[in-house]
Amino acid sequence: MRSELELAINGVRPLERPESRGIEKPGASGEGTFTGELSKALGEVDKLQVDADQQAKMVAEGGGNLHEMSLALEKADISMRLAMKVRNKLVDAYNEIMRMSV
Amino acid sequence: MDFFTALRVSGSGLSAERTRVNLASSNLANAETTRGPDGQPYKRLDPVFQAVAMEGAGNGAPAAPGAESPMGVEVSQVVADPTPGKRVYSPGHPDADADGFVTFPNVNPVNEVVNLLSASRGYEANATAVETLKQMAQKGLDISR
Repeated sequence: MRSELELAINGVRPLERPESRGIEKPGASGEGTFTGELSKALGEVDKLQVDADQQAKMVAEGGGNLHEMSLALEKADISMRLAMKVRNKLVDAYNEIMRMSV
Repeated sequence: MDFFTALRVSGSGLSAERTRVNLASSNLANAETTRGPDGQPYKRLDPVFQAVAMEGAGNGAPAAPGAESPMGVEVSQVVADPTPGKRVYSPGHPDADADGFVTFPNVNPVNEVVNLLSASRGYEANATAVETLKQMAQKGLDISR
């Protein structure tokens, strides 16, 4: 009786999803995907912000040196501007697609 | 982010010029110092600059060992000027030698002030390079406005 049931259950196989073979589906966090690259770039921007923060803190505490702090702030500023540029472009593209009449 | 290489090069220039200012200030402050930590008169200090390759774009990879890659600058060592200082006859001075002569540092304040000015201009030049780089970055981002 039990073995019959097992046989029946084993006979039931999940449907293979069509995209699992043929088309390569990019992983959400994999290397080389757009999402992966984006979060990597954002991590870079965040690192520069934290770095600038630390430099400013060091100068405020009397250590560090002024031009290193200014350069760190400058790096953080430039990378932040770039990130904002990318974000604006993304939002623009999204809006453009949403405005598309189907 | 290769844009930051020039920023780091200029930063190294700023650090080097600041070291120069520090040493010139030290020389000026000790222009009349007849006794250093070793008991000898102060000797004027000079920085020695050395070009160093800046590592590549942010990922810590060393730059290609060609002369074409941008080079930063660093102070490789600080040397004491060995030229003898002027000797002044002053028998009452506590640092006078057996003959009554006191050896003063080999610092010429006029030279040091010129050195200071040159270092200050060098610092300004590096700061201008940073400013230019910043404007270029902003212009580059403004292209896709």
